[in-house]
Amino acid sequence: MSSQTMTADLSGFRNKAFFAGVAGTVACMAGALSNSDQFWRSYLLAFIYWLMIPVTCGGLLMLHHLVGGQWGVVLRRQLEAGTRALPFNLILAIPIALNLPKLYEWANHEHTAHDKILQQKAFWLNPEFFLIRLGIYFLIWLTLRYLLNNWSYDQEAGGGETAKDKLRNVSGPGLVLHVLTVSFASFDLGMSLEPHWMSSIYGFLYIVGGALTTMAFNILVLARLSEEEPMSHHVRPNHFADLGTLMFAFTVLWAYASMSQYLIIWSGNLPEETPFYVKRFHGPWLTMATFLMVFHFALPFFLLLMRFNKRKKAIITKIASFMMFMRLVDLMWYIAPAFHEVEEAGHHWPHWMDFAAPVAVGGLWVGVYVWQLGKRSLEPVEVHRLAGGHH
Amino acid sequence: MSSQAHEPQAESNLYGLMAEFDDADTLMKACEAARDAGFKKMDAYAPLPVHGLSEALGIDDERIQKIVLCAGLTGTTVGFSLMYYITVISYPMNVGGKPLFSWPAYVPPVFETTVLFAALSALIGMCVLNGLPMPYHPVFNNPRFEMASTDRFFLCIEAEDPKFDLGNTRKFLEGLHSQEVVEVAK
Amino acid sequence: MTEQYHSATAPVLAPGHNNKSVTEKIAGVVLTQKTPKGWFIVFAITFMVMHAMVFSLGSLVVRGIGLWGINQPVGWGLDIINFVWWIGIGHAGTLISAILLLLRQQWRMSISRFAEAMTIFAVMCAGLYPVFHTGRPWLAYWLLPYPNTMALWPQPRSPLVWDVFAVSTYMTVSIVFWYVGLIPDLGTMRDRAKTMFGKKMYGFFSLGWRGSARHWHVYETASLLLAGLSTPLVVSVHSVVSFDFAAGIIPGWHTTVFPPYFVAGAVFAGFAMVLTLGIPIRKLYGLEDYITDKHLDNMAKVMLTTGLVVVYGYFLEVFFAFYSANEYEIAMAHNRFSGPYSAMYWALILCNFIVPQLLWIHSFRRNTTVLFIVSMFINVGMWLERFVIIPMSLHRDFLPSSWGFYMPTIFDWGAFIGSIGFFTFMMFLFIRGLPMISIFEVRTLIKKPAQGGGH
Repeated sequence: MSSQTMTADLSGFRNKAFFAGVAGTVACMAGALSNSDQFWRSYLLAFIYWLMIPVTCGGLLMLHHLVGGQWGVVLRRQLEAGTRALPFNLILAIPIALNLPKLYEWANHEHTAHDKILQQKAFWLNPEFFLIRLGIYFLIWLTLRYLLNNWSYDQEAGGGETAKDKLRNVSGPGLVLHVLTVSFASFDLGMSLEPHWMSSIYGFLYIVGGALTTMAFNILVLARLSEEEPMSHHVRPNHFADLGTLMFAFTVLWAYASMSQYLIIWSGNLPEETPFYVKRFHGPWLTMATFLMVFHFALPFFLLLMRFNKRKKAIITKIASFMMFMRLVDLMWYIAPAFHEVEEAGHHWPHWMDFAAPVAVGGLWVGVYVWQLGKRSLEPVEVHRLAGGHH
Repeated sequence: MSSQAHEPQAESNLYGLMAEFDDADTLMKACEAARDAGFKKMDAYAPLPVHGLSEALGIDDERIQKIVLCAGLTGTTVGFSLMYYITVISYPMNVGGKPLFSWPAYVPPVFETTVLFAALSALIGMCVLNGLPMPYHPVFNNPRFEMASTDRFFLCIEAEDPKFDLGNTRKFLEGLHSQEVVEVAK
Repeated sequence: MTEQYHSATAPVLAPGHNNKSVTEKIAGVVLTQKTPKGWFIVFAITFMVMHAMVFSLGSLVVRGIGLWGINQPVGWGLDIINFVWWIGIGHAGTLISAILLLLRQQWRMSISRFAEAMTIFAVMCAGLYPVFHTGRPWLAYWLLPYPNTMALWPQPRSPLVWDVFAVSTYMTVSIVFWYVGLIPDLGTMRDRAKTMFGKKMYGFFSLGWRGSARHWHVYETASLLLAGLSTPLVVSVHSVVSFDFAAGIIPGWHTTVFPPYFVAGAVFAGFAMVLTLGIPIRKLYGLEDYITDKHLDNMAKVMLTTGLVVVYGYFLEVFFAFYSANEYEIAMAHNRFSGPYSAMYWALILCNFIVPQLLWIHSFRRNTTVLFIVSMFINVGMWLERFVIIPMSLHRDFLPSSWGFYMPTIFDWGAFIGSIGFFTFMMFLFIRGLPMISIFEVRTLIKKPAQGGGH
């Protein structure tokens, strides 16, 4: 149990993040005055993007407790800090909860009054039940967050094997809950923006996409931490290679799931499903789709295939930052066109707030995250398992 | 026992000198010593892949990766051309209102041809680079060599090596904690 | 990359072995050990059972496809169910040998050869069905894209054509991967065979392998590349199989989660079959040192995980039926719960959802009896799953006028039961003639018997 290892440099990092967050917030506030509808849309995008990271931190943490692996030993502190930032996301959810009719067709009575199908779907898609579900998701995530952090603390405080067993035992069912809650949260927050459309692989796409964002984010944080004590002792090029390989796997899975969804909908050619792609294959969204294929799949695929790129901190951090950006583009491609009619979606461009809002929310969120990271020692919990790792 | 059974070979009919070892570590040290002594034409034989042996012998062959990559890309090209030829050129047919150039439908078959070409090239490439099949090889002339596929380890320095000298090389090999050193006929 | 927690306490190879002892034991199963009586019994029974298939398919060739229970609207019956079932079973072999190789999991080494052989024979069984389903198996080559005098080409927008590419590639690559893995062991067998015939046969197929460092160098890279190629391949094959259904618009078929859900189901079924065959064979040949509790535990964990993914698929199917507010989708869900085949659906839930939950319990994962029973349930459950997907979706079309009922005939069952006989027969032939555990890979376990991921 090493002493407090928070450094002044890290607080500089935190302040920078807060500054970016505040600047983004001011910009978005100004944007909200002129275009409040767009503000809420961009805010939802930012909310989902930054929600997936703490939630997936919990998922990866549980995966590590179950299967072990060096990647998890080096990342454990970061993943735990990620889950501890989750209450901030709950606060961020409040404005969305108060503005459902602005975002979701099904929450808008004027709209549902003329829509037979939405009336039939009202058993699931209604504001009250939506908020209850959102509450349940957060309750599960926060409970898991509490248990994972608490028992981890016990493990350090001398709980040893007992605490470790507890962590492992909660992680199996916890991971099942994680998959279910992330899936249904994605159906609710993202998919129901186009309430006539549905795709059962949507949850899988969010789980994999979230894992990719989270892995990229954690690589960046690890690279930063590895410059100083205590992580500079522990982090080796092989750890970055392992994390890069995981990022590679998630990239390939993302491409696989995206292609499967497209191929099935393209082949079926049903009028309730194809509008999703018709919207996104016109105007700027088509350019973005091509951009995604090349830069969210092909380029990282080849770059991450080469071990050299994964071992070099300078290169892997560049790839990771780029992937964080591409994840935003992907999410934007899913969310932003949903607010437009099929015929006119191609005439709309992504709004500047679609970029500013993620910076605003992200800056504040990262600030909270770094603050949480500094609250515990950075020394890996099971440091002995790292020592055995590099011969 | 077997070295006595073999009469010393005339140098012209000699493939090389073969030393036998108990375990992988001794073999590895012997290979490193032989490499440092300047021998080039030599090979080690083991019943299992020994980590680091390639480095000890200075083997740095990365051709197989390139072969497989090229074959894979060829498979992609062939598969894609075939799909394009069938759907657009040779047999243009409207199926379910889909465009003739239905690229999404090409993805699964083109992926399969890529993997097929690459996998076959991995097998063929492995055989060609290793010179397989090769039913006869001089090393099999050592009667002890059949244990090389069970639990014995061998190092053979070939007579073609410029530094090879029957007497000195034998002495050199004997000094490497080997069990016995045998002359192997061609 | 990943390491198991209990790796230090439960070795993947029992202690006290050396290169010689593992070689003698594994090669000895084929070369010297007296063949156990159990082998002859199973061999004789499966040989006879196989003839149910020979007879059923033979009759089909002579008298036509009307012998099967399929007709409009249920055009896909037991033949396609069995095709999907067998292909799925095959996937465990590739998963164990390829994906676990990339993940640097050492426990794979002693079961990979056996599981890969299973892959090949399972794909053989699978391949038979579509060929005979065409009704004119002697014209099955029409499925291949080749220039012909009819000026016709297969129609590549159809997932059935993707299937031809996927399954034939899978068959080829599985054989290549399996054979490449066998080469060094064939060298061992050549050197240890007692009979001239054995020496010649093993010698021929070992290609003159001599275990040279140069050989190993290229060989290991080639194996790794093959593993890297097989991993996406195995995922693609069952995804393509799932497209056979998902690309259509029948309620119960057209859903985007099918590809990952089918892949998980395939692995689930495959591991169940590895255990179904592995547990008795391990006992028959006394291989407890090689297939340890650790293997059983890990396989049970993989089954539990993939089983939960499959259940996730069932759950989403029902959820989306109601979420869609589409009357046909909702009717499909009701038909599953309480339609004419609802017993099959609830049996599926029992076999694939309820029974596998036993595997949460640690001691059950190491108990061969429990594992064997659970894996039998899963074998049945995965077959039922395909029944629920295929005939149950087809027999209720959009229009009540095209509703029907599907009842397999004795020829359907004959082909199915006979294929199980054929599969087991081939597996037993394989363990009699070839080393069923990769000898050279087990040798690499000796030096560091208790380590997990190698970094």
